[in-house]
Amino acid sequence: MSDGEFAARRARLEPLFESARSLADPSTDRGRHARQRLVASSGLSAQGVDLALLRCLETAPDEAQIAALIRSTPRAQVAHVLLSANVFVAAHRAIAIGLAASAQVRVRTSRREPEMAELLLTGAPGSFELVTELSPHAGDRLWAYGSDETMDEVAVTLPAGVAFHAHGSGFGVAVLEGGHSESELSTLLSALAGDIALFDQRGCLSPRVLLVAAEPAFANELASELARALAVLEEHVPRGQFSAAELSAIAQYRDTAHFTGEIFEAGLGFVSVGQTNTWLLPPTGRNIHVLAVSDALAALTPYRPLLTSCAFAGGPALGEELRRALPGARVCRFGEMQRPPFDGPVDRRDL
Amino acid sequence: MTRNARSDHLHQAVRRFADGDRVRSFAELALDIAEFQREYSPGFARLWASRRASIVSVDDIPGVPCDAFRLARVALQSEAEDRLRFSTSGTTSGARGMHAMRVTETYQELALNFGRAALLSNDRAHYVVALAPLLDDPPTSSLGHMMAMFMVDFERRGPFDVRTSERWLLDDRGVDLVGLERAAARATERGETLLVLATSFALVGLLDALEGRTLPLPDGAVVMQTGGFKGKTREFDPSELRTAVARSFGISHAQIVSEYGMTELTSQLYEATVTGSALERERRGTPGVYAEPPWLRVVPVDPTTLEPVPNGEIGIARIVDLGNVDSAVAIQTQDRVRRVEGGIVLLGRAPGAPARGCSLAIEEFLAQGLG
Repeated sequence: MSDGEFAARRARLEPLFESARSLADPSTDRGRHARQRLVASSGLSAQGVDLALLRCLETAPDEAQIAALIRSTPRAQVAHVLLSANVFVAAHRAIAIGLAASAQVRVRTSRREPEMAELLLTGAPGSFELVTELSPHAGDRLWAYGSDETMDEVAVTLPAGVAFHAHGSGFGVAVLEGGHSESELSTLLSALAGDIALFDQRGCLSPRVLLVAAEPAFANELASELARALAVLEEHVPRGQFSAAELSAIAQYRDTAHFTGEIFEAGLGFVSVGQTNTWLLPPTGRNIHVLAVSDALAALTPYRPLLTSCAFAGGPALGEELRRALPGARVCRFGEMQRPPFDGPVDRRDL
Repeated sequence: MTRNARSDHLHQAVRRFADGDRVRSFAELALDIAEFQREYSPGFARLWASRRASIVSVDDIPGVPCDAFRLARVALQSEAEDRLRFSTSGTTSGARGMHAMRVTETYQELALNFGRAALLSNDRAHYVVALAPLLDDPPTSSLGHMMAMFMVDFERRGPFDVRTSERWLLDDRGVDLVGLERAAARATERGETLLVLATSFALVGLLDALEGRTLPLPDGAVVMQTGGFKGKTREFDPSELRTAVARSFGISHAQIVSEYGMTELTSQLYEATVTGSALERERRGTPGVYAEPPWLRVVPVDPTTLEPVPNGEIGIARIVDLGNVDSAVAIQTQDRVRRVEGGIVLLGRAPGAPARGCSLAIEEFLAQGLG
């Protein structure tokens, strides 16, 4: 990529960053207005929206990350972006990737969450175009985010010659090695509770399973502590609205977990502990399943294609092993799962 | 009294109940079995303890979610004591659960008792074939096992080896149309009533294979259809399938009866529609309404609170099956149902929590065969 092209791409991103910065700032009219609109559309509590804007919206990515994003994004005649509904801040990264690819960016929002893209556009007028239907042509690229089902539906409608970058369903996991002091554990679990609670766990980066490389009794203790951390966090950041179908899934999960192992109330959510190697994937809503394992890497292997992110608490060697074992997942420390480096898509899965 | 002695005692009581003995009521038996399971199943004890109110009626018994069968052993006895192990089909996921039985007599008696009432339209012997794959040995499919029991019992000629290709008319190549024609001819020749036991999936395959042609069945033949489509083929509306099958076989709608069962249960429900059957005479059912046997009760519950819904309202089915003495007397399904006169109406599976965007839904997780 020539310096000129790099500079042009970099220049297209700046208004978007500026727009995001003003949205994140709760002291501005735009920041206040954004919060009102996003509470209505996201289903999150007001505190949940505020936390997401302050912690997860990338307002000042460092230049090295921006450079990596630009260099890893292929050029497109026109960049089309199909947004997902559940994690509103994801619109920012998705549109940034579109802008890195092309001067012409067309964005279709989810019907359930149209607000964030509109808010970003208001602060960066003319940067991209909001459309109700995407009509890519040969030579264009489409970045789409959503469920695997949506990706399949989109794929069959695309004309020949359109490059399709599909980011489908997935979930996050966390791995904790033994050897931490009580205070370290407390800090780690509070950080993990934050990862779980953000977006009420509706994002594909959200952790749903915690693997503990220790004896089952320790996993039980840890689950109880994590439940406490989640309950404390919920006092400050209440869970948002959940549909009847979501609440039904939580009721089923709760009773299944009661039958198959231990389960701890964690505010409105739950922390379950498994007694077999079979993973119980909890529904979203601040629920996590804890499993004691002897070999975390082996336990992760069957789930590799679905894993978008993996937080670890252990030595650097564990981090390296996880990066090697999970090339498609973002590997990070506890508390960082919802804010991957702004150097490309949210995950690294080959799609 | 030991665990097995108590279990045997309860099994006998349930079988007596199924035979019409009402010295002990359904509720008394259900609560006794629940109490027995609470004592010997730590999982059920935890589920019971999670209910804040005391358990004094059938409606209070917590249902064990079907998922539990996939994740844990739902059986009071040790593995060494298992006499039958049925695997769930697990949709197309490959994620299979297991229902293990220590006492097979109860399963046999309950299945035959209600099967005879629902399926036998006259006193003649029947000739029974299955549009299902050849039964494995030992049987792992509860449906296949039940079909095999029906073959032996309904033909009234004593035990015989049912594992022959003449009886099981579905394999990887599809439905054996010639075999079905041969079975029809044989039933006619012997003066027996033909009973065709079929999965809905197999019936769709049969319709495809016929390509619009007909395959007339003998007068009085009955077709039992069961099960869903599980993503294996194109789906049919149940009434459309019934109409298409009736047309292809040249039989009336009343000669087609739907069964509802699941591996996690011991008992089955049927439409009370087969003209001349004991169940039809007793209940005068209508298509789409599934009659419960006296030893099973469906409780429609609110999907969120899991509390019973008012009569006539839609809920998800909690099924209290007295036959499940050694597993889970109450099963919590995700099947939407409504109670109507004469039984319950099935309204399809409740959708799981919808996938909102990229967050992986539980159904998708299971569909990958990982759960």
